[in-house]
Amino acid sequence: MTPKTLLTSRTLRTALFGALTAASLSIAAFAQEAPSPSLDPKALTLFSKPADVWPTYNGDYSGRRYISLDQVNQKNVADLKVKWKYKIEGVTIRGSGNPTIKSTPLMVGGVLYFTVPDHVFAVDARTGKERWHYDFEDHGGHVLGQRGVGMYGKWIYFLTPDGWFISLDSGTGKERWRKKVADEKLQYFTTMAAVIVKNHIIIGVGGDAMDVRGYLESRNPETGELQWRWWSEPRKMGDPGSETWPTQAAMDHGGGMTWMPGTYDPELNLIYWGTGNTNPVYAGQSRKGANLYTDSIVALDPDSGKMKWYFQGSPHDTHDWDNVETPILFDTTIDGKPRKLLAQAARCGYFFVLDRETGKNLVSKPFTLTANWSMGLDKRGQPIPNPDKDPKVDGSMVDVPANGATNWPAPSYSPQTGLFYVNASEGYSIAWLYDTSKDPQGYAGGASGRIDSKSSLIALDTKTGDVRWKHVAKSGGEEGGGMTGGILTTSGGLLFTGDSNRLAAFDPANGKILWSSKLESAVSNGPSTWELDGTQNVIVGAGDTLYSFTLDGK
Amino acid sequence: MTRTRAILLSVTGLLCFSALPDALHLAPVLVGAQEPEYHPQQLTQQAPPPARRPRRRMDSHTALGLGRLPDAEAAKRGEPLYNQNCLACHGEGARGGIGPNLVRSVLVLHDDDDSEIAKVIRGGRPQAGMPPFTELTEQQQHDIAEYLHQLVELAANRGLYKGSETMTSGNVDKGKAFFAANCASCHSVTGDLAGIGTKYSQPSALIMRIAWPADHGPVTATVTTPAGQKVTGTLEHYDDFETTLKTDDGKTSTWSTDSVHVEVPDKLAGHRALLPRYSDDNLHDLTRYLLTIK
Repeated sequence: MTPKTLLTSRTLRTALFGALTAASLSIAAFAQEAPSPSLDPKALTLFSKPADVWPTYNGDYSGRRYISLDQVNQKNVADLKVKWKYKIEGVTIRGSGNPTIKSTPLMVGGVLYFTVPDHVFAVDARTGKERWHYDFEDHGGHVLGQRGVGMYGKWIYFLTPDGWFISLDSGTGKERWRKKVADEKLQYFTTMAAVIVKNHIIIGVGGDAMDVRGYLESRNPETGELQWRWWSEPRKMGDPGSETWPTQAAMDHGGGMTWMPGTYDPELNLIYWGTGNTNPVYAGQSRKGANLYTDSIVALDPDSGKMKWYFQGSPHDTHDWDNVETPILFDTTIDGKPRKLLAQAARCGYFFVLDRETGKNLVSKPFTLTANWSMGLDKRGQPIPNPDKDPKVDGSMVDVPANGATNWPAPSYSPQTGLFYVNASEGYSIAWLYDTSKDPQGYAGGASGRIDSKSSLIALDTKTGDVRWKHVAKSGGEEGGGMTGGILTTSGGLLFTGDSNRLAAFDPANGKILWSSKLESAVSNGPSTWELDGTQNVIVGAGDTLYSFTLDGK
Repeated sequence: MTRTRAILLSVTGLLCFSALPDALHLAPVLVGAQEPEYHPQQLTQQAPPPARRPRRRMDSHTALGLGRLPDAEAAKRGEPLYNQNCLACHGEGARGGIGPNLVRSVLVLHDDDDSEIAKVIRGGRPQAGMPPFTELTEQQQHDIAEYLHQLVELAANRGLYKGSETMTSGNVDKGKAFFAANCASCHSVTGDLAGIGTKYSQPSALIMRIAWPADHGPVTATVTTPAGQKVTGTLEHYDDFETTLKTDDGKTSTWSTDSVHVEVPDKLAGHRALLPRYSDDNLHDLTRYLLTIK
């Protein structure tokens, strides 16, 4: 976007919403004189990060969302108070109303960077005052969410609903270049927070309304040019994996979107990515077979995009169970041997633990009810779908809710407890087949949920998959509420997440609530934490407002 | 996009700018834990009142970013023209035959103003064996193009999907027997369920009602206070932190949830117990049977 168009769209907003944007313009002009915050590449490591930054969507490469900061801890968490809040003003999201912050803000050089669809905000981390606001005018694409930005040096990377990949100056919000990475006319859209691995900007795509192929791309951080592209399906019949598709056409329209940030092991030099649901979404009759590599976790070489291994969480998915939930990397000892593992609580209701070098399965176990859509496990540890639980014209009931047993909000793993934490939905749903033709298109069906629904925070044993404790929210049934947002654990012996319009701190050892603070709406992103000027801040987004919490609000 | 959208829509006359504030009141379906979905007739268990349909349609169309709405009148004229001229090769509903599928066609999806589709109709695809259709007028080319865009809309906009009005499975007698064995201790088809098949005449609405007939009305609860007193009233708020009860005298009291014991009668215990036991056949049989209770 040129400065001219920026001004045009700001003028429009000023006309609609009063003089408030004029103030942000003058702040933006002031901010141009400050040096642009820059991210030291050394800040990006597997299991840690410097205290005074939050450099990537999950904080570090592991996706554990466990942070070694204990200024705020079990003893003083009662003193946690709001230091500042930043409310997004004058922004509405097409067809959906008020914006909802789903992004986890990066924090670099004392500035927070976060997003909603079509908008990037830079906010002073100490005061909550806006530095700049980038306002993009899209021309289509799904406005479901935006998970945040990626950063390389002083450059910010942002994806728009209509598939533009944009580089901004972190100091001014000024656009450096934009590249088209997805075609919104084919119903692709982009919501991801870019993951930066060495000199690769890794971005995925969303979009399952029109039966297109998923892909994951690596782009050059300086030029935005394509380095490699990995497709979610084999390219042609005869390629490995094509035996799980009946025809080339089915494979070409098979879905498998890559819409959530993956994780990375620098030592093994592998990125781990989840792929989304198969297409057509609820109708499987034109795509008999397992439909690789949709609904899978794949391990790719970040330099070439070549796949090293895969594990399919939801073979022949007919329930919209995107297998994109964060594949968390963690190290542990099993039978006296150190192991490099990966764990995922999947939307299909299974908890998976894999060896992240080989993809070999250690645990596959339902973590809510019985996952009755499956008939057990194959020899790779992958669930075997029960054909009788495919969606039916008259409805087919499964004991997983319509939007899955969990969804995109971030889980967490604490090395203090060795437990994996996930906000889960329990209950039943009925799935319908609407399109009975031999060549269905699009969703072709649907699901109705909220049958005996419960919302819970679940702590899973990573060695056995057993539920070690479970907090079932007293709200969160048919009336809504309950557990929301992602999870953060800290070395202060705390687990932060959303519960019933509050930010709450739990004891990660037993699920006891230690503290909470009422917000104006439900927690809608993953909480994060960092320390600046010797003060630990806990940052959380709830609806259109970002909050910073510190001890006594100081 | 907001501005572009508003202009586009006012041009087509389908939604004028003044109608936007209404749309803005619609909050996202779910805030945090899950992705919003667009299945209007089933989110509410019953068909929404007809007056609300256009607005909901606009929401899913708009949020999905499906571009301009197809011209419904032109599409209606285009359907028989398609069937007469194109169906033989491109298949029913344009899903492909000896010619390519046109619902997933990149050319169709990109053709905002119908000019590319019209060009192909006029000129054919000689290399691919498609003859030109020179006898079709410009208006007819446009009408066929709008029909194709309508088919795209029907596939891509899941907010427009409708559940089946008729059932393909289930057996009334088996449903009656299942009801007698599992439901009759609480329900009667001549008592509380009289007319259930009329009230929920769409099978998908009735099966949902059978599975989980949660009513979203006031909940009566009994709170044992920290002092040990039992108070019964309407539960105004209940979560992990606060419990608010309104008693018959109109007073409301709020306690910290961990300081009280709250008893909420479990009216759906019988339904809960059945959930893991149902086969889909059981549910279809029951639905078939209860649809006959007019």
